[in-house]
Amino acid sequence: MASNMNYGGDSESEDDNFNPAPAEASDDENDNSSVVQPKSEPEQHSSPGRHHDDDDDEEEDGARPGQSAGKRPVAYQDDDGDGDEEDEEEHDEDAENDDDEEEEEEEEDEDDDDVQGHRRKRRKERRANPFLDIEATVDDEDEVEDEEKEDDEIEGFITHADEIGESGQLHDDRRHRELDRRREMEASMDAEKQAEILRERYGKRAPARGYGDSVIVPKRLLLPSVEDPSIWAVRCKEGKEREVVFNLMRRVEERMGTSNEVPIISVFERGGPESTMKGYIYVEAMRMNDVLMALDGVLNVYPRTKIILIEIKEMPELLRVTKTPTLEPGAWVRLRRPFKHAGDLAQVLDVTENGLEARVKFIPRLDYGTRDDMSSLTADGKRKRPGVPGPRPPQRLFSEVEARKKNPRALQGNPLNNSWTYNGDEFENGFQVKDIKIQQLEVKDVNPTLEEVTKFASGSEDGTENLDLKALAATLKDSNMNITYEPGDVIEVYEGEQRGVIGKATNVQGDIVTLQVTEGILKGQTIEVPNKGLRKRFKLGDHVKVIGGSRFRDEVGMVVKIVEDRVTLLTDQTNTEITVFSKDLREADDIGGQGALGQYALLDLVQLDATTVGCIVKVDRETLGVLDQNGDVKQVLPSQIANKLPKRKTAVAADRNGAEIRLDDVVREYGGQQRQGKIIHIHRSFIFLHTHTTNENAGVFVTRASQVNTIAAKGGRITNASTGPDLASMNPALKRNPAAGGGNIAPPKSFGPDRSINQTVTVKRGMYKGLLGIVKDATDSHCRVELHTKNKIITVPKEHLAFRDKITGRPIDINSRGGRGGFSGSGGRGGFGGSGGDFGGRTPMGAGGGERTPAWGSKNTARTPAWSRGGDGGSSRTPAWGADGSRTSNPYEGSRTSYGGATSYGGATSYGGATSYGGGSRTPAWSSGAKTPAPEGFGHGSKTPAYGGDSWGSKTPAYGVSAPTPGASGNDSWGYTPGASGSAYDAPTPGAHLGAPTPGAALNAPTPGAYSAPTPGALSAPTPGAWQGGWGADTAPTPAAGAPTPAASGGYYSAPTPGAYGGAAETPGASGPRYADDD
Amino acid sequence: MSDNFVAPGQQRYLRACMVCSIVMTQARFREEGCPNCEEFLHLQGSPDQIESCTSQVFEGLITLANPAKSWVAKWQRLDGYVRGVYATKVSGQLPDDVRTTIEEEYRIQYIPRDGSATEAD
Repeated sequence: MASNMNYGGDSESEDDNFNPAPAEASDDENDNSSVVQPKSEPEQHSSPGRHHDDDDDEEEDGARPGQSAGKRPVAYQDDDGDGDEEDEEEHDEDAENDDDEEEEEEEEDEDDDDVQGHRRKRRKERRANPFLDIEATVDDEDEVEDEEKEDDEIEGFITHADEIGESGQLHDDRRHRELDRRREMEASMDAEKQAEILRERYGKRAPARGYGDSVIVPKRLLLPSVEDPSIWAVRCKEGKEREVVFNLMRRVEERMGTSNEVPIISVFERGGPESTMKGYIYVEAMRMNDVLMALDGVLNVYPRTKIILIEIKEMPELLRVTKTPTLEPGAWVRLRRPFKHAGDLAQVLDVTENGLEARVKFIPRLDYGTRDDMSSLTADGKRKRPGVPGPRPPQRLFSEVEARKKNPRALQGNPLNNSWTYNGDEFENGFQVKDIKIQQLEVKDVNPTLEEVTKFASGSEDGTENLDLKALAATLKDSNMNITYEPGDVIEVYEGEQRGVIGKATNVQGDIVTLQVTEGILKGQTIEVPNKGLRKRFKLGDHVKVIGGSRFRDEVGMVVKIVEDRVTLLTDQTNTEITVFSKDLREADDIGGQGALGQYALLDLVQLDATTVGCIVKVDRETLGVLDQNGDVKQVLPSQIANKLPKRKTAVAADRNGAEIRLDDVVREYGGQQRQGKIIHIHRSFIFLHTHTTNENAGVFVTRASQVNTIAAKGGRITNASTGPDLASMNPALKRNPAAGGGNIAPPKSFGPDRSINQTVTVKRGMYKGLLGIVKDATDSHCRVELHTKNKIITVPKEHLAFRDKITGRPIDINSRGGRGGFSGSGGRGGFGGSGGDFGGRTPMGAGGGERTPAWGSKNTARTPAWSRGGDGGSSRTPAWGADGSRTSNPYEGSRTSYGGATSYGGATSYGGATSYGGGSRTPAWSSGAKTPAPEGFGHGSKTPAYGGDSWGSKTPAYGVSAPTPGASGNDSWGYTPGASGSAYDAPTPGAHLGAPTPGAALNAPTPGAYSAPTPGALSAPTPGAWQGGWGADTAPTPAAGAPTPAASGGYYSAPTPGAYGGAAETPGASGPRYADDD
Repeated sequence: MSDNFVAPGQQRYLRACMVCSIVMTQARFREEGCPNCEEFLHLQGSPDQIESCTSQVFEGLITLANPAKSWVAKWQRLDGYVRGVYATKVSGQLPDDVRTTIEEEYRIQYIPRDGSATEAD
């Protein structure tokens, strides 16, 4: 029924639309249509659609400019009229008139609808463009109102249908057949027309749409064919591929349009450090000859060696591009730059939008400006080049405290979120944060070890471990293709269909592992599984060995805990628990880690090269882990070790307060990490400490002697800092500046073994007043004196004692050196000037055994401090000069060495001496050194401090000085100085002995003048002029000094060292005036 | 004469267009823009745009002497582009807004040159 309504409505509406004809006509039409239409009900189902189609066409036609607006209505009128009269007539008319007119066709459609059998109509419908159907339905909807209007008339339709239905039957067949034919033709035309319409309607958009879409042709359609040019591979120099490609570009362009155009079509390269296609360029050309022509004379290409024609099917492979895995935040990478951090692990925080730069965080390697001062010049006067390999500071989290201490100006930041900028680098939570280009990151095969990653985790803000081990394990699995399984390994399948299967590997081929299943229902079967989803399986108590992937490599231990694929084991060697991935473990069949490799054992001190020593902190099967003096841990082969440094029980250093420290003393770092440990080695200014609080590096760490405080000294030595001299004020470097030397610096208190010991004294006060005795023992304030008179030892306050020369009985000042009364700023106990002065002179001479004085004894003068100063490398040996002081306990460090430092100055003086060699040896400077070594040389007259024992120390007086015992041994040391020796010992003037060690003298040492005085004398060139030339202002005082003294000391001097000195007599006095100067 | 030649010393400044993969120095991108993509990338005189739409990470240089005849050009979808030096692979992704613009306004389908498109085929 609905269709009926549609039909009626449609026809009506059309009429309404197009035909302004009188109302009666429409009524008629209704009747008429009702006559034709209802042949059968089903027919009507299809008809409406068809009808609408036609309508639609009409409308469209009407819209077209080609159709006359007027014509259509006329035609309709006709139709209407015909319809009104009779069907047959209508058909006739159609046949005659319609030929030209398209409109007629539509009418005929209507007719068909009216008259024809529905089968035919269906066919037509099929023929008609389905596109129209759609349009028709749209129309349908438009005309809903019409339907409603005509609801009433529906009844009429149906009643009439049967009556009139038969009337036109006869004519119908013939006509309709003809009509069909025509229609068929017209339908095809129609399609064209529709297409045209469509084109008109949508045509404008089409080109725009086509622009982009049409460009993309699937790659498989682009595969090369025989028509395409060929590609030849030509050898070229590796690494020059890009250059060649550009050169060819130039050649192509330059010859463009000339007679010898380059006939090739393209050239490409797939070079790159990791590429397998490096060393070739690929030339696309039609003929091989073209290639030869094009490449003729191009640098770095070798077309004459071998040219390979690439097969067509391989061509796409040449251009295969694999995507570099994109970095995701959280991923682990390794740094290539900055150089200092090459190889360090870093974590990606963020990646820029274009994926070319990543923000990464890593553990900084800062030394807070102590070592790499880029602006400083190297010894040869050249600016240091950045990036030159050198010792790099160890990885440590950023410490605001240290940064503030060392270079507060370079530090900016916000303590709230713990982010800082220091020297232009950013730090967050202790990590350095930096934007780095992805070229400078190693993304593949990062293989972070658990230890490395743990460092990142433990650095989290609240100190909690935020490490996602699972994620890490996943990363590792992705990257670790180098897990190896070996027959005999017990393996568990943890992924895939065979998950849970446990078995023993019987065969491994490539990625396939053959398992003999040992547990479960599959027991006894042999299966093959890819090694991807496998992990090794261990049981608690298994004895396993770490085979790779971590710093625990080669550790052997017992499995104590297994969580997934993380295995915790207790190492045999250190009894510590370590956690590693099971893939890094193997069943161990040996007991590893005896703790020694060849002659090198754990904690040994070894010499790595001329300037580097290290402590062995790890002993592996073939290598040793050595913690060097810079704090870096290196893996070295035993063959890389120069030699083992024997433990020197007597080695001493001075701590920050100047207190003496020795092996086995317990000290704590001042500042920094405040680590505390027991001294296991002392090497120059470095001390290696051992602690039980950490397992890192076997608990060994290294620091400078000057950066520790003594916690407990072995044997309860006095560690009171107040007893040490104020070394800063004694720093020869400071003293060099004459302007600064306005006032005399009070001589330091004595240090080391008490100087009063073994001295001959008289008691000045108390019940023993006037008695003579020898000091047997002493403390800071008291002495125990063995009286000559009675066999009794009494304890007397030092103030009550007067020190006397053993022989002459003259009062002496044990704390001053050159006893001239005037100079005794030390306020000594009586200015026994004479002897003191003598002494000053004498000392050098005593040392005078030429060989033993450094200047003399050493073959190369580099060992005299003065000399070494000249050479860059050698300077290190003189404490005063040693820039880093590393080898000598140096004045800067505040140790007693500062004395040595002074001495070294003397050494400088000895430089002068060097000019006349023999003289050099006797320079007081030297002698001062001579006194110091006493502890070593004790009692051996023959030894000069220089020989004190160890290779480096021996040559530098400084070192000798560092021996803290001068006081105690003072006498003895004198005794053995060869020059003075025989007589000196037996009948030494106390002044001489004591004077030597007196700090006062030492103090003067730094000012070259003081010392230099003797030198010129020695040189028999007492004329100051000579000196001044060399030393300038400093030496100025010398000559003057020289003047007053000569006589006194002259005789004295000449006596011990006559031959050598010749006219040296004048010199010693120099020191006297010198002191005066100081005052 | 030879516009596309870049001396070895200058090669560190090379960048590759992320759309057409042409390889030129940064200076040239700035002065001339991208010869193929200027219409929608507007690189000329815009260092920022150059920074985001070209990449200095690329590999596999191609000297394209005859884009019309070349199979390599066809395969690399470089046919129709100007003669010059191109890269087989350009790492990096075009910023999303640029990408959206060229795909919607210019109706050009963007094929990433970083290798990610290859797997799709």
